[in-house]
Amino acid sequence: MEDDVLTTLKILIIGESGVGKSSLLLRFTDDTFDPEQSATIGVDFKVKTLSVDGNKAKLAIWDTAGQERFRTLTPSYYRGAQGVILVYDVTRRDTFTKLDNWLNELETYCTRNDLVKMLVGNKIDKDNHDVDRAEGLKFARKHSMLFIEASAKTKDGVQCAFEELVEKIIQTPGLWQSESHGRAVQLTDEDAGGGSCGGYCSLL
Amino acid sequence: MAADNDPESEVFEITDFTTASEWERFVSRVEEVLNEWKLTESYVGKSSPGKGAFVSGSWGEQSHDVHFADFKFHITHHFLKEEEGQQEDGRSEEETLPPAMHDLLCMSNDFPPRAHCLVRWFGLREFVVISPGANCEAIISESKCNLLLSSVSMSLTNSGCQVPMFVQIQQKWRRIYAGECQGPGVRTDFEIVHLRKVPSQYNHLSGLLDIFKSKIVSRGSQTWGDGTVYENHRNHSVRLSRFGSRVSFGSCAAPFSHRRSVYTPGQKVAVLDLDPLEAPHWSVRVRTADNLQCLLGDFITEFFKLCCRKESAEEVLGRSHAEEEGPENSDISSALSKLTEPAAPVPLSKLSVSSMVHSARKHIRRRRHIDESPLNTDVLNSILLFLFPDAAVEKTDREKTTPSNSSRKTDQERSSQDNLFLHLKSAPSDSLTYRLALCLCMVNYSYGGLPAVTHLWQEFVLELRYRWENNYLIYGLAAGPPDLRCCLLHQKLQMLNCCIERKRSRDEARKAQEGSRERERPASGGRASASSTREGSGGKSWDSWSDSEDEFFECLSDQGDMEASQNEGGRDGSKGKAEGRLHPYNNMTLLASAEPLYVPVTQEPAPMTEDQLEEQSEVLAKLGTSAEGTHLRARMQSACLLSDMESFKAANPGCLLEDFVRWYSPRDYVEEEVVDETGQTVLRGELSARMKIPGNMWVEAWDSARVTPARRQKRLFDDTKEAEKVLHYLAMLKPADLAHHLLPCILHAAILKLKQEESLENIPSVEKSLQQATSQANKLLHAANRDHKKVEDFINQLVAMETAIAEARSLQAKFAVDEEEDNEGPAELKRFITSLLEEPEVEVMGAGQARIGRTIHRLFINAQRVSRYPLSGRHAALDLSRVAHWQLGRFCFKRLVLIG
Ligand SMILES: Nc1nc2c(ncn2[C@@H]2O[C@H](COP(=O)(O)OP(=O)(O)O)[C@@H](O)[C@H]2O)c(=O)[nH]1
Ligand SMILES: [Mg+2]
Repeated sequence: MEDDVLTTLKILIIGESGVGKSSLLLRFTDDTFDPEQSATIGVDFKVKTLSVDGNKAKLAIWDTAGQERFRTLTPSYYRGAQGVILVYDVTRRDTFTKLDNWLNELETYCTRNDLVKMLVGNKIDKDNHDVDRAEGLKFARKHSMLFIEASAKTKDGVQCAFEELVEKIIQTPGLWQSESHGRAVQLTDEDAGGGSCGGYCSLL
Repeated sequence: MAADNDPESEVFEITDFTTASEWERFVSRVEEVLNEWKLTESYVGKSSPGKGAFVSGSWGEQSHDVHFADFKFHITHHFLKEEEGQQEDGRSEEETLPPAMHDLLCMSNDFPPRAHCLVRWFGLREFVVISPGANCEAIISESKCNLLLSSVSMSLTNSGCQVPMFVQIQQKWRRIYAGECQGPGVRTDFEIVHLRKVPSQYNHLSGLLDIFKSKIVSRGSQTWGDGTVYENHRNHSVRLSRFGSRVSFGSCAAPFSHRRSVYTPGQKVAVLDLDPLEAPHWSVRVRTADNLQCLLGDFITEFFKLCCRKESAEEVLGRSHAEEEGPENSDISSALSKLTEPAAPVPLSKLSVSSMVHSARKHIRRRRHIDESPLNTDVLNSILLFLFPDAAVEKTDREKTTPSNSSRKTDQERSSQDNLFLHLKSAPSDSLTYRLALCLCMVNYSYGGLPAVTHLWQEFVLELRYRWENNYLIYGLAAGPPDLRCCLLHQKLQMLNCCIERKRSRDEARKAQEGSRERERPASGGRASASSTREGSGGKSWDSWSDSEDEFFECLSDQGDMEASQNEGGRDGSKGKAEGRLHPYNNMTLLASAEPLYVPVTQEPAPMTEDQLEEQSEVLAKLGTSAEGTHLRARMQSACLLSDMESFKAANPGCLLEDFVRWYSPRDYVEEEVVDETGQTVLRGELSARMKIPGNMWVEAWDSARVTPARRQKRLFDDTKEAEKVLHYLAMLKPADLAHHLLPCILHAAILKLKQEESLENIPSVEKSLQQATSQANKLLHAANRDHKKVEDFINQLVAMETAIAEARSLQAKFAVDEEEDNEGPAELKRFITSLLEEPEVEVMGAGQARIGRTIHRLFINAQRVSRYPLSGRHAALDLSRVAHWQLGRFCFKRLVLIG
């Protein structure tokens, strides 16, 4: 079973508390939505194997609590992450305005400058949208991220988001080769590889 | 000897090659190779290369090994790669001269800089060379030379190959080749004469013509070696096309092994006197010594070698007597500053050894006899003082010396360097870690290698332990939790400092308490962890997170074991006075009363180094992805949450979970405007759905949280245990591990030094490669498993940059001698030197008449005077510092063309 797994990728989910990070993850790994899910304490962890373009990748996904006091814990989990999903709640503007803080933190603690970032606007099933799609797009463009709007509840966009992220990581040379196979680090030309974080792109 | 190729002959006739001689086998092997390379096809119609093509085009090379008996030769085919679309140039069919002979006559590619010497001397675009294999001796004896030439001749004839073929004879460094080229009815021999000194009669064109003619006259039917007779030359006529003489010089200019100048006497054959000084065009090239040794490079390389040592510290010091003889030949302060500008707050030179009263050392009994130590006591003391400059200060002053006042750099400098250490994952350049790396590097190089490194490290760890035991902060580390962006060793040192810091404030608080015996508490939450004896109870039950009640704690600090009755305080905190308040929170009031909501003083979460974090995340990941796993994980991480809840309860008597959530996780308190029965809109708030789930961990934790201010809780961070862990880790490091940890700092220092040196010389190519190297190092040093080979390559790159800078310096020094005749301006000179470094060959403006030309001339004259071995390339190669290579009188006869 494990033999044909191409690589293990470390992915991190961050964002303010209550935006639906744990729900997105649960939707992706178990394809369910649990309104009874309790607020995350510290960090949580889930695994899922995904097949993208015939490549099997094992995803080790770290879900973080967004509260201020837990944040001192999380920087360590930024280490070595190849992909980051940054989540905000489209019905709460404050979760969107706080994105800059999260990016700063990411910049400070992540160990690779070529990691792939994805912005997810969650809870689009709700009516009272406070942040419209254009704003999300603009933010993603500005910071060279992937962007998607999604709903953990109705499962819109969730699978797609993870798949796209993984595909991007796999396409970024040097991001996964080194760790996964235990062989020598592929020192590709810095400029040729990643760097741009895959650029901006929209999925919907 | 060959098979009978007659088609009429018997089919089953056996062809026997078993009796072929070694020589025959050699010849046929060479033929095979020529066939394989397809050099036997007709070359008619190949156009001659365009002007400058030898320089602009790219050269190809292919080679094979061929054996003559058990003597190995290399056969190599050199060729100018054909450009696309360059095929026919309509040469008539009758003119069947091999292209090589056309090349000899062609004048558009004379004296190309940087090409195979045979290209430069004979103007060939394609040729084959047979030279002795790597470890084989040179072909010196005349009969061997002849045998080889005969073989060449035979293979060319047998195969019909028109590409000239050479054999390298005599000592390799002399670069003497003999060769020949065959075409239909034509043969050209190539010869080289290598003279120790130019005979005076050959300094003139007429003299040169004389030898030239004499060579041609002797060309009859000639026999080489084993009686192979050339068959196909008749009716020789001579055409002397043009003529180049070249003189090679060497200068004794360290760091150059020799500088080779080419004097090209232009087109006018009328100039009869070939005095190079008279030549109208001069061009100069620089040949640099191959393995120039540079100090910085040596420092790094030697340090890097440490990474491969297997020995443990014990093993090294146990057998150190045998190999310890580190001669102290240089002054420690200069050695240090060679590697980098001293970052020490106290310049070493100002510290006399005798004045060093190293208070720390006194407390530690020496384990070894002083004369047994790999590192001399004086050296050791100066290094320790360099590393711990606060040790020299009187003990009472020590407290005042804080790490922060060690920074004297401007902000600008600082920010660019900050960037670099983040890039390399090293440590800030004024940190203890960085200085330690430099010291170890220097000790390794100059004061006794591995044993000395091990010794210094042991002393270093002893000093750290002393500081831990005596509550002295470690000097030269940024305060706060370990900086995960720095190297692990730096994090460990920071961790130890965190421990010292906590222990210190704990001890101070205890002292204050013992002194006064009052019931008042110290203002800060510094005594948070007085109940240290109860550590390690694990995370099984909620009760274990905090364990003491007010009264017991107040009476005696270390009696945390005693279980307090927990009831009278009340879980809801409804009674009792508030404790451990930090500040009011956003003007909020408690839901159940009019009291302001206070942010409590909390325990700082335990600082962790990256390896601990790694370990922790592994443990968490191992719990699996099941619901139970998730629950367990949350519980394991809830210590901090529980501690915060207890602090909150203590600071806010009468508070509810809702109050806590409003501070801690505000989005989980949902406020809504509702219209009440009286028709008025009021703001009504409640916990979010997920917080209301019965039995969820937040509620559970809240229920079990007692009313305890942070300073009376069980400490989340056990400084004693953590400090011992760090010290143990450091003590167990093998020298190789240590070198591995500190390598980023060494590379950091090297890059800084190179940057600094480059900025003085301003060499564009070095600047560029420095930038590239830095970004490359980023990946290299951040990788989980460092690739040894890649690091080695990286170090070589740094060495190359150092060499380039040294060369630039040397050139500058040589050309900038005569300041008084500065009329041509330094700008031109600078440009000249830059092009010398970056281009293969540079034209000397004004040739011998201009200042630069005169300088070159003088350099050669000086070199000639100094040189004691006029012809000895060997010596030059061996003696790297005083390179005395004086090569004069290499004459090459270009273009002896015999046309049939
Ligand atoms: N309507 C709606 N509610 C959601 C969605 N995702 C999460 N929620 C709810 O938002 C709350 C917070 O979700 P959670 O996943 O715990 O957020 P986290 O703190 O970021 O992990 C929960 O009550 C979820 O039921 C969504 O896509 N649509
Ligand atoms: Mg969560």
